[in-house]
Amino acid sequence: MATRLTTAARRGIARPKVAHRARRAGREALTSAIPLLLPALAIYALFSLLPIFLTFWLSFTDSRGLNTSASFVGLSNYGRAAADPIVWQSLVHTFQWLLGHLLMAGGLGLILALAVSRLRLTRVVFRTAFFLPHLVSLAVVGVIWANIYDPFYGLLNTALDRLGLGALSQGWLSDPLLVLFSVNVASSWQGFGLYMLLFIAGLQNIDHSLYEAAEIDGANGWQQLWYVTLPGLAEVMTFVVSLAMINGLKGFATVFVMTNGGPFYQSELITTYIYRLAFSMQDHGLAAVLCVLLSTLAIGITVVFNHWRGRLAR
Amino acid sequence: MLRRTLLASAAAVLATAGLASGAQAQTLVMWGPEQITEPLIAELWNGLKADFEAANPGVTVEFMPPTGTISNGAVQSAIQSNAGPDVILTNSGIARVTTVVDAKLVAPLTAAYAERGWDKQIYPWLYAELQRQRGGEIYEVPDGLDALGVWYHKDMFAANGWTMPATYAEFLDLLGKIKDKGIMPIAIGPRTAGSAGHLFGNMLQSASGSEAVGKAVSGELSWTDPSMVGGAVRLRELVDKGYIDKEMAALDLDGAARLWFNKRAALFVAGPWFTANARKAEYDLANAGYAPMPSDLGPGKPTGGVGWSWLVPANSKQPELAMKWIDFILSDAVMKKRAENAASTMIYPRALDGVNPPTAILGDIFAAAAAGVGYNPSVYLPASVVDTYFQVIQGIISAQISGEDAMAQIEAKMAEVK
Repeated sequence: MATRLTTAARRGIARPKVAHRARRAGREALTSAIPLLLPALAIYALFSLLPIFLTFWLSFTDSRGLNTSASFVGLSNYGRAAADPIVWQSLVHTFQWLLGHLLMAGGLGLILALAVSRLRLTRVVFRTAFFLPHLVSLAVVGVIWANIYDPFYGLLNTALDRLGLGALSQGWLSDPLLVLFSVNVASSWQGFGLYMLLFIAGLQNIDHSLYEAAEIDGANGWQQLWYVTLPGLAEVMTFVVSLAMINGLKGFATVFVMTNGGPFYQSELITTYIYRLAFSMQDHGLAAVLCVLLSTLAIGITVVFNHWRGRLAR
Repeated sequence: MLRRTLLASAAAVLATAGLASGAQAQTLVMWGPEQITEPLIAELWNGLKADFEAANPGVTVEFMPPTGTISNGAVQSAIQSNAGPDVILTNSGIARVTTVVDAKLVAPLTAAYAERGWDKQIYPWLYAELQRQRGGEIYEVPDGLDALGVWYHKDMFAANGWTMPATYAEFLDLLGKIKDKGIMPIAIGPRTAGSAGHLFGNMLQSASGSEAVGKAVSGELSWTDPSMVGGAVRLRELVDKGYIDKEMAALDLDGAARLWFNKRAALFVAGPWFTANARKAEYDLANAGYAPMPSDLGPGKPTGGVGWSWLVPANSKQPELAMKWIDFILSDAVMKKRAENAASTMIYPRALDGVNPPTAILGDIFAAAAAGVGYNPSVYLPASVVDTYFQVIQGIISAQISGEDAMAQIEAKMAEVK
């Protein structure tokens, strides 16, 4: 009994000592880690946290530019944003753009990945060829496609005319119903190559014996796609969807180059409107509100999507 | 001792020489001119640069090719980058200049006008106009004036027996004849903001007169006033009648100009600067005709205003040198040299005696503008309104909105400014 008490007592004395040692080791590790982390933290604070803070602050001011003195105006800019029909219109366009990018760039990436994966000798050639547009800057893509869509000299309408399909010729960038779609096609053409590569990587990770088993069970091509390939790509697909959504929200360059948001706001995205407000009209307060809105949207969509993905995985 | 003295003297001489050369070696970074890559323009400006450098030993002028204008934020970005220009030549007008003045990006030049005699080196009416715009404070030195009117092909008109009419009713008749020939009557590229405004400003002035337009841009007259709406309604009628193709809403200035240079379109609204575009497109300028937009209110006149100005950024590293450069530009010798040069593309800010325009079309434009020019709203409207102004023009050209709706939207923006 006495021995037990002694042991217990020893343990009682020893525990705080161990904990103390662990705490001290933790403190020492932290002390040595801080100087190592400081440069990275400083850069992060300077280039990420500070701009975020400044943008948030600007959204409560009547700032007209960096050189001006800005006064605090409370929620006035938020009220102006809510009352501005162009904000709502560009918000709707942004969602349409996002969905279009997801379907066109993501969808085309998946289809081409499936097609290219079935090739043997020419796989590398096609994979490279399809990826090439992704290496072209979006601004250059915009210029190329604006010329393709030119209503009077453009390749598309000229080709349709030559093929006797002149009735299908359109004002691709002037028709209010077509313009956003047309620009999105150009943007998706630039983007699908990356998604294709990701899907190809995913396809290579699917165990080939699953296809053999499916074949023995008599599954045809479509059934193999539906029951083996697509479930096998689930992880990659969720990643591609996240990436495509974020890229969709960032849509700017092609719209800016090809239409500058027109005609009459019909291709205006939140991003292009932010640019015009900030740099053409010098309305930095309202532009900052839209930046806050866009960031909130990006965070919200990502959180909701990841939550949904987590539930689906369970 | 002697050796020590000699060494000290040599060191002093070297140090003085170093300081002197350091003080004199200065670089003036100039934003502009536009189209510097065009050989004729490059030749002219490189000549001016050499003259200035020769007159100011130790000074080097560096051209910074413009990536845009105030309208698309390029000038603001260049100034705010703090690695930007010391003096700027850019598209101006009160709307654009107000944008950079409100953002405190450019320095006031009012004192320099008086001290350096610039007030005597531009038209008195122009100086008075500049003084009126911002309560007496002036931030720009006009480099050139715009005079926007209708360009046509002389050979096409001669072959078809067409002439530029005097009244709007006759103008409509002409547009009908052109369309019947299978030619597009008017080309416009509203994707380029300025291009949209060139035609619309002409239509407004033709329908309402320059006085009414002047009052509207300064907020004295409502844009929805019946005396102002006519031009916008007429523009929509031109679209509805097929005189302006709806698909042109997708074109920029270059795209629309291409239609005109290739003679697929008969008419184009532009200013003297269009001579540069024509040269680039290898269009025979002798075949170009120019006339003010016909009006039922009397003899037509071009629209315009200050087209290009010199600005000195608030963060210019060489403000004094920038002033010297402007002195140099305003000198008789430089102004005459520019006006007579083949690269000349504008009307100069003061009367120049004995100057022969380098092309016949410029002579026509100078003659049309001799009695003064009207208002091009693109350069007079406040910055927050001008964006709406350009958008509603696109709305009319793409047949999305009526003329009345367009003017109501401009007026709503004007009301916000008031």
